[in-house]
Amino acid sequence: MRLAVLLAALALPVAAHAQMAPAAPAPACAAMDEALPAELAAWPKKTELTAATGVSGLDKAVLVPGQAYVATLAATPDVTYVVQPEKPGGTVSKGGIFAVDIATAGSYMIALGTGAWIDLLKGDAAQRSTGHGRGPACTTLRKMVTFDLQPGRYVVQISANAEPTLPIMIAPKP
Amino acid sequence: MTLAAASKVLGAIAALCLLAAFTPGLAERPASDVRVELGRRLFYDADLSIDGTMACATCHEQHHGFTDSNATHPGVHGDPGRRNVQTLANVGTFASLTWGDPRVRKLEDQALIPIAGKTPVEMGFGGQEKVLEDRIGGRACYRKLFATAFPGEAVGMATITKALAAFQRTMVSRDAPYDRKKRGEMVDTSIEAVRGEKLFFGKASCASCHAAPDFTDAAGPNAFHRIDLPFSGDQGLGEITGKADDNGRFRTPSLRNVAISAPYLHDGSARTLAGAIRRHREATKLKDGEVEDLVAFLRTLTDDRFVADPRFALPKASCEAAAAAL
Repeated sequence: MRLAVLLAALALPVAAHAQMAPAAPAPACAAMDEALPAELAAWPKKTELTAATGVSGLDKAVLVPGQAYVATLAATPDVTYVVQPEKPGGTVSKGGIFAVDIATAGSYMIALGTGAWIDLLKGDAAQRSTGHGRGPACTTLRKMVTFDLQPGRYVVQISANAEPTLPIMIAPKP
Repeated sequence: MTLAAASKVLGAIAALCLLAAFTPGLAERPASDVRVELGRRLFYDADLSIDGTMACATCHEQHHGFTDSNATHPGVHGDPGRRNVQTLANVGTFASLTWGDPRVRKLEDQALIPIAGKTPVEMGFGGQEKVLEDRIGGRACYRKLFATAFPGEAVGMATITKALAAFQRTMVSRDAPYDRKKRGEMVDTSIEAVRGEKLFFGKASCASCHAAPDFTDAAGPNAFHRIDLPFSGDQGLGEITGKADDNGRFRTPSLRNVAISAPYLHDGSARTLAGAIRRHREATKLKDGEVEDLVAFLRTLTDDRFVADPRFALPKASCEAAAAAL
């Protein structure tokens, strides 16, 4: 019993800074995004959004839970992060910040279509994730990180994205 | 010299040391320290990957003892990683630096494998080293830092890897409960860990390869071993030597901070310490309770100070600020 508890403790990934490496490209699939997790059903229907490059622009860069976006990011040197990202991107990478308003306490998943780094902040305090994983095969989901959140405003910092655009979604977990 | 005079001299020396320690700016330190600080900055700089997404620290995370929590880590172009990320704790003492290639014996050479290697592509600069040199050398702050750290030398792959190596050589982990106990300090150790230590150095024969103080024989010439059968795919040392007898041999990984560096083995296929132990042929003789004791002992190798030491952490100051402080 104690061994089982010990092994479970060793295997528990809990920190935001323990985000899983993004998966390698999916194998050949007949179709993509046909078997999405239920909470990410809206993933294929993305609207455009431009990430903020500083706190002053956050009100125009709000991620609504349950809605998927293809976000336009900025060159990393042009982004003023709230706090230094745990994994800063290089000068040739792209990044940006978003606001998220949480109305109901619960577990939420932030899904990305790339392997960019996610820092979730409450004020300037980084929140610890409760789980992380790769997207299922034959989906365009590359990275999924889960957080337990309370009502209020949070800031999502994206760093180290290779491309100027980023598929992103936050959704409550059932 | 009287005792009082000697005391005054010693006091003056101590005051100067304190002044030096707290004087801001890298220029106050010896050139070697500037190299270390430059290496630390480069270690955390994702511009060392072709698309700016991956730094050395992307895979070598301090809170995991400078490993990461993935079995393997894909490269910037999505190439699957080949082998599990190894710890950098005390890496300066290792004579052999990779899982399978005994020819890689200098940290400066090892750094080129992730930066410019092609099997697999990791950071993506293979054949494009000039792009990296121009990128780093194109920033005034880096030019200033390199000029201070390597007077008369250009910003290039040679100085980049020398700086990275200088930083890695400072990654010394010698303050785990195991170390403190060895130094005679009072350490609260569980009975399971005590039994596990006895097993480790005794009946279980772990220490025959995982030799103290770094719990590897990587400092010596015979660090490559085959622990289990059957094996397939990655032939390890045999891939380099072409000898059938070397197939499946891999360099003994250090067990420093091993409890926080899951998963394990060269391919990351063991998710737990108990699972990794069970993959050793010798461990088939061990009872479950004995494996549990070994795990308890291995947890005493976690150096909390090392994994939180700000000297090894992501620099808070920007490159520009660091250069301005010179």
